[in-house]
Amino acid sequence: MVASNRFFKLGAILTAWGLIAGNPLQASTGSTAAKIDWASKTVEFLSFGDPSMQVIVFGVVLIGLNCGLMGGYIVTRRLAMFGDTLSHAVLPGIAVGYSLSQAKNNWSLMLGATLSGFAGVWIISLLTRHTKIKMDSAMGIILSGFYALGICLISYLQKSSGGGMANLENYLFGSLVGLSQDDLFPILLCLGLVISAFVFLSKELLVTGFDPGYAKSIGLPVGLLEFSLSALLAFCIVSSLQIIGVVLVTALLIIPAASASLITAKMSRLLLLSGILGAVSGFIGCFVSFLKAGLPAGPVITLCSAFIFLALLFLHPARGIIPLWIRTLRRSQKIRLENTLKACYQVLEDSSFKQDSFPQTLLSKRRRKSDGEMEGEINALVRHGYATRVVSPSEGHSPLPSETRIALTPSGWEVACRIIRNHRLWELYLTQEASYAPDHVHDDAEKIEHLIGEKTIRQLERILSNPRLDPHGKLIPSQADIDRGLSHTNFPLTEP
Amino acid sequence: MKQVEEFLIGPWASPELFSWNLQVFIMGCLVCICCALIGTFVCLRRMALLGDAISHGILPGIVLAYIFTGSLSLLPMWTGACLAGLACGVSIQWLHTQTPLKEDAAMGLTFTAFFAAGMVLLGLNAENIHLDTACILYGEIGLIPLEPDWVILGTNLGNQSLWSMGLICFFTLLCTLVFYKFLLVTSFDLSLAKSLGIPVNIVQYGLMLLLALVVVASFEAVGVILVLAMMILPPTSMSFLCDRLPMVLWYCLPLSMLYSLGGIYLAYGLNFPISASIALTAVVIFVPCCLLGPKGGVFSGIVQSKIGKNMGR
Amino acid sequence: MKPPLLLPLEIHDLTVAYQRKPVLYGIDLEVEEGSLVGIIGPNGAGKSTLLKTVMGMMKPEDGFVKIFGEKNRRSLSRVGYVPQKENIDWDFPVTAMDVVLMGRIGHTGWWKRFSKRDRSFASECLEQMNMLPYADRQIGNLSGGQQQRVFLARALAQQSDLYLMDEPFAGVDSVTERAIIDLLKQLRNQGKTILVVHHDLSTASQYFDYLALLNFRLIAYGPSNTVFNHELLQKTYGGKLTVLSEVGEKKVVGSKPESKLL
Repeated sequence: MVASNRFFKLGAILTAWGLIAGNPLQASTGSTAAKIDWASKTVEFLSFGDPSMQVIVFGVVLIGLNCGLMGGYIVTRRLAMFGDTLSHAVLPGIAVGYSLSQAKNNWSLMLGATLSGFAGVWIISLLTRHTKIKMDSAMGIILSGFYALGICLISYLQKSSGGGMANLENYLFGSLVGLSQDDLFPILLCLGLVISAFVFLSKELLVTGFDPGYAKSIGLPVGLLEFSLSALLAFCIVSSLQIIGVVLVTALLIIPAASASLITAKMSRLLLLSGILGAVSGFIGCFVSFLKAGLPAGPVITLCSAFIFLALLFLHPARGIIPLWIRTLRRSQKIRLENTLKACYQVLEDSSFKQDSFPQTLLSKRRRKSDGEMEGEINALVRHGYATRVVSPSEGHSPLPSETRIALTPSGWEVACRIIRNHRLWELYLTQEASYAPDHVHDDAEKIEHLIGEKTIRQLERILSNPRLDPHGKLIPSQADIDRGLSHTNFPLTEP
Repeated sequence: MKQVEEFLIGPWASPELFSWNLQVFIMGCLVCICCALIGTFVCLRRMALLGDAISHGILPGIVLAYIFTGSLSLLPMWTGACLAGLACGVSIQWLHTQTPLKEDAAMGLTFTAFFAAGMVLLGLNAENIHLDTACILYGEIGLIPLEPDWVILGTNLGNQSLWSMGLICFFTLLCTLVFYKFLLVTSFDLSLAKSLGIPVNIVQYGLMLLLALVVVASFEAVGVILVLAMMILPPTSMSFLCDRLPMVLWYCLPLSMLYSLGGIYLAYGLNFPISASIALTAVVIFVPCCLLGPKGGVFSGIVQSKIGKNMGR
Repeated sequence: MKPPLLLPLEIHDLTVAYQRKPVLYGIDLEVEEGSLVGIIGPNGAGKSTLLKTVMGMMKPEDGFVKIFGEKNRRSLSRVGYVPQKENIDWDFPVTAMDVVLMGRIGHTGWWKRFSKRDRSFASECLEQMNMLPYADRQIGNLSGGQQQRVFLARALAQQSDLYLMDEPFAGVDSVTERAIIDLLKQLRNQGKTILVVHHDLSTASQYFDYLALLNFRLIAYGPSNTVFNHELLQKTYGGKLTVLSEVGEKKVVGSKPESKLL
């Protein structure tokens, strides 16, 4: 009693969600762990020998494409949870449609479901427009209320019609097994409609979605467009329900579109990418589900699309989190290098450029670091070819140890001058043009000097009329100074 | 008239029926009160769909709890569910603040992924679990009286489910009373909450945790989707009748009893599953509140002006 | 000159970004106790952002805010914030009295019920704003001006030392406007410090003792009659410093995306 109670409970858990999505593509073979031959299974799958598999894979890919395209639109319009609401609101319609047709007649079920969905959407808009109920509460009410009604109707009809409700359950829960070619027609039709809508009405849909008020003012039939879109969404959901179940229809509507939105902001590209990702998720999901017996297809497809999302989120070369993090690291390295070079310049400037090289100890003092810490920075300079070490031999038999001196290479000199110029030019701009307090200017310039681009520098030089000195009276190196290179003879001494 | 009388007495006719339905009734009340209390704040904070999301997100927690402990007893299940629910909520928060995703997309993505993960885990462990998809759609609340009794230290306390639900209900009531001010201010005016030093994030996550707990405790009785109905319908119905939050919360008690009673009768009369009947009762009560309720009902303006005209004469 | 520790508000080098665009850049401001300050500037100048950052609702990219000498919001309980009205849900089931009582939470323990003293003080605050007759009305049933007065009554009930108000005069009737001005002057006379974001140039120098001219940068801060002159106003309303804002954008884009308030 206890054991069966436990199993019953787990069955109850899943039915309480009422959303078991997708029986496995293959029945579970049982306990003994037969060695799974991945390779042969892969070949078997990809060869598409089995016609029933063909239908299944084709159907899933179509659904992925369909939901992906539709999803691209609803995600950008922030209607993601609307898809979920609609998926649950169709239940009463399915029950009624089924009972009226007395058989598993796809079209009556779909009509019923679509009408039911419409009723739900209509009531939501009534509630939000005429009462103080907020949009999310209204959606929740319809979602659960219609679902409750649907369950009641189903159980009532189940009793009165006797058997034959098995097909209905498949409709709710999704079942890939036994998918026939006829079942694919609604999906194809939906796909055709969706593609035509997006191709022929793209401009109108864009404006209506972005700014309905404006759309109305320029004469677009906003109400009709919105209605048609809801209709299309309902049709899309209903045609996919049979195959992958309720919750996972929502997944396919949202996740590929979300992934696409990470990469592109252009609507047409987003829709295309979203559709492709949906189709790809479907295909891979089917494949994985096929490999391991007992895995239900719907959830696997969902997880595939979720993995794709995470992969794009973290690994996308331009916007992924990890490449961004690497770029930030590299930038801080670059900043450290530039700060060291800046200090080199300042050390040279202190001695009015009389010498080409300077002792390492002076650099350490400038950077306010110990000699040990400086070793690493100087090594980095040398590695990048910005500086060289010059060991001057001790004079004769002098007891002084040989001193390490550092000299900048021409490329190092160029970078150093640029940074100094950026810093001082920016300080001058802040002080003169932006009324900055003099004691605040330095901190800001410390950050900006690494970020400012050449174009902005030209702008600043123009605005400030090619200045020679910064607010503290120090020289601002111009391009000519940089080109001329290293020598104290070339440089005017700074004014005291 | 006799038929109506017979119908009304029907569920309570025999001692066995009476005892059975009484337990169902009490369970229904407890579930409805819990859900209504937490649902009030969920609606005020416009988190209704977050509630839906977290309700689905707890599945992997439950399955993992089962895998690790091998039992479906309450404590591991509740712990797993709460952790999963919190993880779901935190992920949604992270996704819509740290990535370009908007809130609704973050929600939809997270809860479906969590749910799918739970399903896959279930599928991978299919050898241990037999799924009987045929015995479906009937709310388990009708079978609550079948649950074993709690025996502590040799004393038989009574039905386990009732006790556990009662504890959760009590806990929810306690949280509502103790943290009322926090909940009120954080739901109404975040900036005031912050300036008063209220830990806004903790309140939000605490609410998510409590929500996950209420869902997992209730779903056996009414199912996940219908938990949502029990969370949203009471506060929205009452908002058309009351002006003040404490009133809305208090009215949840009699309302829950009404729902539960209505559920039992609908199930008795039309043979609907009890859980769905309760939800349906809630919808049926919602409609007149929404249309005629004095505080903002759709036709309340018309009704009140008519009353005013009559009184003016 | 009071020692800096006692300044109600001290802002240093504050840079704040909103959705990766810098809105405030390097703001320095020191407000002395008992000042009635008007913050003026064009739309999008960052006025509301400044108040929100002081309240800790937005995180600065750079710089800091000190309230009564303390950073990290330790003195935030001494601040009363009257936000713009758009952020409030007017269908929320609370009455005017409920809203004003919320202001007393800082003075009551969070686990305790409101005392009789709290209630009577809240009534006094409502009375002061001429809203006592409406104490039991749900806030959605009040006019715009009445709603504003309820929130001001709440600020009074908080008994704060520093008040931040975001466009309190926006969209109110003349009765309410008079009431607000009287309240501001009264608070100032009590030694409170008040910062008000104001949208109406024509009344700015008349209502406030000090003016802060804000447009991405703090253009000027000082007594109204000194600061309210043609040259400075031209600088404030005359258009952005484009190079500054472009470069500021680079500085901000380099950092992580800021997290939104929950």
